[in-house]
Amino acid sequence: MSGSPSKRPELVIDGFPARRPRWVEIVTSANHKDVGRILITAALGFLFIALIELLLMRLQLVIPENSFLNPVTFNRMLSMYGMTAIFLFAIPLALGLFYYVMPLQIGARATALPRIGQLGLWLYIAGATVLYAGLLFTPTEAGVNPLAPFSERTFLKNNGVDAWAAAAILTTLGFVLIATDMVATLRTARAPGMAWRRLPIFSWAAAICSWLLLVIGPVMLAASTMLLIDRNFDGIFFAGSAGGAPLLWQHFSWIFFTGAYMLVLITALAAIAEIVPAFARRPLYNRNATIGSLIAIAVVGTLAWLQNMLTAPIAIGWMYFGMIMALALIVPFGLVIFNLIATLAGGGSRMRAPLLFAAGAISAISIGLAGEIGHSMVGLAWRLQHTTDSTGLTHFTLVGGAVFGGFAALHWWFPKMTGRTMGETLARMSFWTMAIGALLAFAPLLFAGSFEGQVIDTYKFFDGTGVNGYNLIASIGSLVLAIGIVMTLANAILSREGGAEAGHDPWGGDSLEWFALSPPEPHNFDVRPDVRSDRPLRDIREAIAQQTRGTEQPARESQPVA
Amino acid sequence: MAPHSPGTDQIDALFWIGFVVSTIAIVAINAGLIYVLRRYRAGRGTEPRQETGGRHTQLRVGAVLTIFAAAIFVVSLIYTEKARETPATGPAGLQVSHSEPLRISATGQQWLWRYDYPDDAFSFYRLVVPVDTTVELDLSSTDVVHTWDVPELAGKSDAVPGKVNRVVFRADQEGTYGGQSATLSGQGYAAMRTEVEVVSPDAYEAFLAQQNRDIQTAQDRVVSLIASGNEP
Repeated sequence: MSGSPSKRPELVIDGFPARRPRWVEIVTSANHKDVGRILITAALGFLFIALIELLLMRLQLVIPENSFLNPVTFNRMLSMYGMTAIFLFAIPLALGLFYYVMPLQIGARATALPRIGQLGLWLYIAGATVLYAGLLFTPTEAGVNPLAPFSERTFLKNNGVDAWAAAAILTTLGFVLIATDMVATLRTARAPGMAWRRLPIFSWAAAICSWLLLVIGPVMLAASTMLLIDRNFDGIFFAGSAGGAPLLWQHFSWIFFTGAYMLVLITALAAIAEIVPAFARRPLYNRNATIGSLIAIAVVGTLAWLQNMLTAPIAIGWMYFGMIMALALIVPFGLVIFNLIATLAGGGSRMRAPLLFAAGAISAISIGLAGEIGHSMVGLAWRLQHTTDSTGLTHFTLVGGAVFGGFAALHWWFPKMTGRTMGETLARMSFWTMAIGALLAFAPLLFAGSFEGQVIDTYKFFDGTGVNGYNLIASIGSLVLAIGIVMTLANAILSREGGAEAGHDPWGGDSLEWFALSPPEPHNFDVRPDVRSDRPLRDIREAIAQQTRGTEQPARESQPVA
Repeated sequence: MAPHSPGTDQIDALFWIGFVVSTIAIVAINAGLIYVLRRYRAGRGTEPRQETGGRHTQLRVGAVLTIFAAAIFVVSLIYTEKARETPATGPAGLQVSHSEPLRISATGQQWLWRYDYPDDAFSFYRLVVPVDTTVELDLSSTDVVHTWDVPELAGKSDAVPGKVNRVVFRADQEGTYGGQSATLSGQGYAAMRTEVEVVSPDAYEAFLAQQNRDIQTAQDRVVSLIASGNEP
């Protein structure tokens, strides 16, 4: 930033010289790229921690009636794992990608409310700190979704659930603030000519997911606050014995968790919809219908929260409502997946790491979603829900979306964030290890759940119930999956400084983030581009090609001017 | 997991429908994906087509998906409604007056199920019911949410404090059916199992009489212990 002589005569200065140590600059920065990078880095760090927790649980479940972990420790591992995977990894990874990429894609120099976004980041970090501070006393043991009244003080007297609720409040508030900044940015900071119909699909997804968070975030804020009141201030919102309504917690929490599930999927599918056209070298098939489907997934998907409550004492009419909403999702999910595959058909695909991970994500998500059809059919849900079939399917969908999809996005935008490409060989090795690992880890759970009825969340299973082999394979698969994931994390760390120089536009993308330098200047663009179509960078490339026709193309010393 | 009740017969049939539907969807998507990735590779001489898709394809695909979803909905509705029907007690079953089902209440508590039978007998862990008899279990809980799950006899149902949930089944064969609670309820959750023992109506009556005698004996013993000054 400082020290080097100005290479670009159109600029008076290259930026203010850094006066403070680099880490102070980064943690006090409200620049969307710094905030986004911290979000992504933290999320990947928590992915690593979640993996350790998963492996410890799978180690306990490797043989029947194992005594490696006692039930309380196992329940704590399970609860921390669920919270880490959803609140500290999947959602912040999605938001970090959006927050980094979306302003670049819409040709903005900064976000509209940068300090709000920065506050969101540090609330998330604070929430993560509170949750893991629980390890110093007693972490939560109430499960992935701490169902009331089990999570009430009557049944869990230690402070673990309080730490969970406080962490849920802090992180969710942080997510809502980041979403607020993104909604405001999308409303006010688009480049000239960047009409909504020309917005790149990943920025559309940023808009959809931000609005989704503005709807479901307050629900979780309210529910966690009520839980804290119940536990600490004699409230009876969810208390079963004192006239409270335990089912109210289920409604609130499932609205949030179902919405978050959709958020992860929308993010992954939109990132894949950026990646696939570039490698197939043709535009996204039916762009408008794909965007419309993503909106439908957000709305209908969240309305399908009752699909998680089909065994609860609710009227059959509400169960059918949940079934209608869940089955209606077949249409938008089917259309998006069809359009992604149709984009690949007829293109000359170059197989590189981002496309490989994108294909893996589509495959894993398809297994998870197709399996969920059975959990949406009310009568069948009475058999399948609360079995390891749910665990396996949720993992197929969310590992497919957040890990495979997230890694596809990471490989895709890594050159933009660091100026270097992630190592291709290591990426391929990591992908195949992960693919085999995910199949071995989660497919046996589907069989154990749907054929043998193994129930969820137990710290041990019994010999003679026909699930020994399934659990052994699942444990081995989890280890293989973890090794694959760690390979990509290592690849990212190594490539940050040792990767091949990428240049500004390594993939031949069509959207404006590839117009900025790699990594982008703090103000993103020297010149705000004028947008004339939904493929603005292609227009710029063609304009340059026309200007320089007949002469040798000059070295790209500065950004091209449209 | 073989079904042993009219309700689980329907659920089992629905399971195989769901299994086939999901398998077809998974195979179709993954086969399509692998095919286009292998077929349309760079360097195989295919120049990428630049068309962006049309409204007609999209409407057609959307229509097919809608019909697919609607068909699943209708089939699920039919089987679910059949599974919800209360079957009548069969000829080999216990003949309760007014052809009412045999009502037993099941109460979940950390980490045990308690069953209360019509004439004041009760049992823990093991539920004994007569064969070929329609049994209605009224599920409730005294503490946290539990899920009653005996997959061969009925679908899962939650026992939520302050609410009553119903499970109806009619076991078609004598024998012992295992089950397990299916909602995390604390450190004893994995051990919170249950057993349904299906016996002949005579054996059921004998069991109730024996249970009543045992309970009476135990109570008498407690009373006599208190009377003799020895705190039990």
